[in-house]
Amino acid sequence: MKNAAQLKPGEIAVIIDVDNDHPSSHRILEIGFTPGQEIQFISGALFNDPMAFSIRGSIVAIRKNEASCILIKPKH
Amino acid sequence: MYSDQTETLTKKRIPLITLVGQPNSGKTTIFNFLSGKNFKTVNYPGSTVEYYVSRILSKHAVDANILDSPGIISLVPSSPDERLSVKALHSHPEYGAPDLVIVTVDSSQLSRHLLLVRQLQDSGFNVVVALTMIDILHRKGFDISETKLSQLLGCKVVRINGKTGEGIDNLLGAVKEGITSEQAGRRLIETRTPNSKRKEKLLESYREIESIENEVLFTLKSAKDDSRSSLASINEQLIVLGNNVRNRPDENTLRLDKILLHKFWGLAVFALIMSVTFTLIFWLAAPLMDLVNDGFSIASEFAFQALGDTWYGNLVSNGIISGVGSVMVFLPQILILFLILGLLEDSGYLARGAMLVDKPLSAIGLNGKSFVPMLSGFACAIPAIMATRTISNKRERFLTIFIVPLMSCSARLPVYALLTAFLFPPEDTLMGGIAMTAIYLFSIASSLVIASIANRLSKSISNLNDPSSFILELPAYRKPKLSVVGANSFNNAMQYVRKAGPVILYLSVILWVLTYFPNHTPQIDGAGRSEEEIVELTNSERIATSYASYMGKFLEPVLEPIGMDWRVGVSLVATLAAREVFVSSLALMFKVTEAGDDIQNSLLDAMRNAKIEGTGMKLFTTATSIGLIVFFVFALQCISTIAIVRKETGSWTIPALQLIAFTGLAYFLTYITVNGLRFIGVN
Ligand SMILES: Nc1nc2c(ncn2[C@@H]2O[C@H](COP(=O)(O)OP(=O)(O)O)[C@@H](O)[C@H]2O)c(=O)[nH]1
Ligand SMILES: [Mg+2]
Repeated sequence: MKNAAQLKPGEIAVIIDVDNDHPSSHRILEIGFTPGQEIQFISGALFNDPMAFSIRGSIVAIRKNEASCILIKPKH
Repeated sequence: MYSDQTETLTKKRIPLITLVGQPNSGKTTIFNFLSGKNFKTVNYPGSTVEYYVSRILSKHAVDANILDSPGIISLVPSSPDERLSVKALHSHPEYGAPDLVIVTVDSSQLSRHLLLVRQLQDSGFNVVVALTMIDILHRKGFDISETKLSQLLGCKVVRINGKTGEGIDNLLGAVKEGITSEQAGRRLIETRTPNSKRKEKLLESYREIESIENEVLFTLKSAKDDSRSSLASINEQLIVLGNNVRNRPDENTLRLDKILLHKFWGLAVFALIMSVTFTLIFWLAAPLMDLVNDGFSIASEFAFQALGDTWYGNLVSNGIISGVGSVMVFLPQILILFLILGLLEDSGYLARGAMLVDKPLSAIGLNGKSFVPMLSGFACAIPAIMATRTISNKRERFLTIFIVPLMSCSARLPVYALLTAFLFPPEDTLMGGIAMTAIYLFSIASSLVIASIANRLSKSISNLNDPSSFILELPAYRKPKLSVVGANSFNNAMQYVRKAGPVILYLSVILWVLTYFPNHTPQIDGAGRSEEEIVELTNSERIATSYASYMGKFLEPVLEPIGMDWRVGVSLVATLAAREVFVSSLALMFKVTEAGDDIQNSLLDAMRNAKIEGTGMKLFTTATSIGLIVFFVFALQCISTIAIVRKETGSWTIPALQLIAFTGLAYFLTYITVNGLRFIGVN
């Protein structure tokens, strides 16, 4: 399954789930990355790490490995 | 003892109102309006790390204490520090449980911020919602109905304009009602959701919030066009617009971030901003410095003429005015440093900076969130060390605290500025600026090297199961308000004067006494000498036989290897009170002011002529000046820093380590620099 770390700049996707096993998963949910929400990958720093996403009208930067626990499907 | 307690019990307790909200949601702004205080508000998540309490201004006619708190994302803590914040919210160790909580909700990020409101209500807090950042919501093309929101949440909702203070009256009305309601005395329940249920509970809250959001937000256009139309029809329009429009971040911010967060351009702009900052400090300040210099020079000369060549004339003109003046000359540079930092803080760029450097910093055991404390370390290490509280990983936080004192704080600025002015003529602002930038870059590079070494060394000691994380909201860009930033910088600079001023003053007087007595009128054989030579001889004889020299002579064996003499040694010891004192102390030791001369130039002249006592060797050479710069880059000469590190880390280990390692390193590297430069023929 695709995860948010694999998105390309500008790409939009819909969150399906957040992997509970990641130590940051709860914080990621709290900050608004919940299933059903649309996210857009805005831009990444060097090596795409950290990555900035638009979520619920805010821009939030998270590390690449934290983004990889956000499971997504492409938006149609 | 007992009677004391009953007295406090019978005395009417002043109600406590706590401001709670996500980081950067406008809490401190409201706190300042209510308390009349002027705490710093910064466009960066995590700018308040302490609890501040104040009585609400009497003109507001609400008798209560208001508590400003560090931002929290949710009531479910995910780090030990957050656990403390949440505990303190339920019952602050000093101020107790709040009678009322004002939750700040950024209306342009409604759903994310309503989560906390829901959690607070679930825990039984007596809640009033303050809607902030309405202007940003308008910029997005939306407005919000606070009556509807109030109905749906079941608590009072007030909108506040953080720029003008509009709405504060309504907030006070809601507060007045809130603290007298029976809700105020309600007991709080600390909700403990079992881990397995946490996710489910959270998703449920968010679903509920999303449906609230759908009902309270409406497009500005529709509100203007047909103000008579019912809310229902407006909501219909909203449904047509759909979620994606409402959930777009601020468009200007997105556009700017295309460049500022770009893989390569972003880094280029970052490097540019950092280097322009340090260069600007030097040459923008030059004309202002001349002004201050002239002012103090005139005052010193005036005092000398008015009081004559007596001991008190000497004390006032040489001891006090030129001592204080020699440091205050550099105040404009400090002001400009604060100004630039303030502009960066207010614009919203800092969070981007943190994101851009996260990867390289985490390679050496730091975190992107170390960036802001490191940058504010250029102003002063003490607030910078407190700012590390936003780093949730303990190891990364302690490592950041470890290296923050290596950042060139504003107290070092006068020392560097004097020494670069000695190396390059003060008129040569270009070279001066380059030298200054080089010193800053050198201090940053050294701190990074030291961090990576410390990281390697401590890896074996510290536990590693504390996961590292970087989750940071990037706030919307804002045009910095020059009036606010200007006023803030001015306040900071004045605070600098108030803090350093008295120390410089006292030490100048003490040093003056130590250098003037006991042999204040030495016998000089005047035969065949000009008057000028006699004055000079008298001065040097007086100092050479003064109390200060007795004390300084003890230090001579340590100082000789690094090319310094006892006078520099006494000045270095004096820096333990404040680093800037080095400059005023040199001014005193070398007895600089002669009537009609300006303070800075005569100090530079005196430094050029100074000889190591008993030898013909020049004391201040290119080698020893660079050596002194190196010494100041590394040495931990600040008692307040040691105290705050002890407090923040909870033990003496780190401050002791810093004191020994940094000061030892300073001495060692100065030794190498001075002797190395001499060896290759630079003198
Ligand atoms: N545009 C706008 N900015 C605001 C408003 N209220 C506060 N701010 C700014 O938002 C930033 C964060 O405010 P602050 O009070 O420090 O938030 P805190 O972190 O919750 O204490 C600061 O730069 C404030 O000047 C508002 O209503 N509109
Ligand atoms: Mg604050």
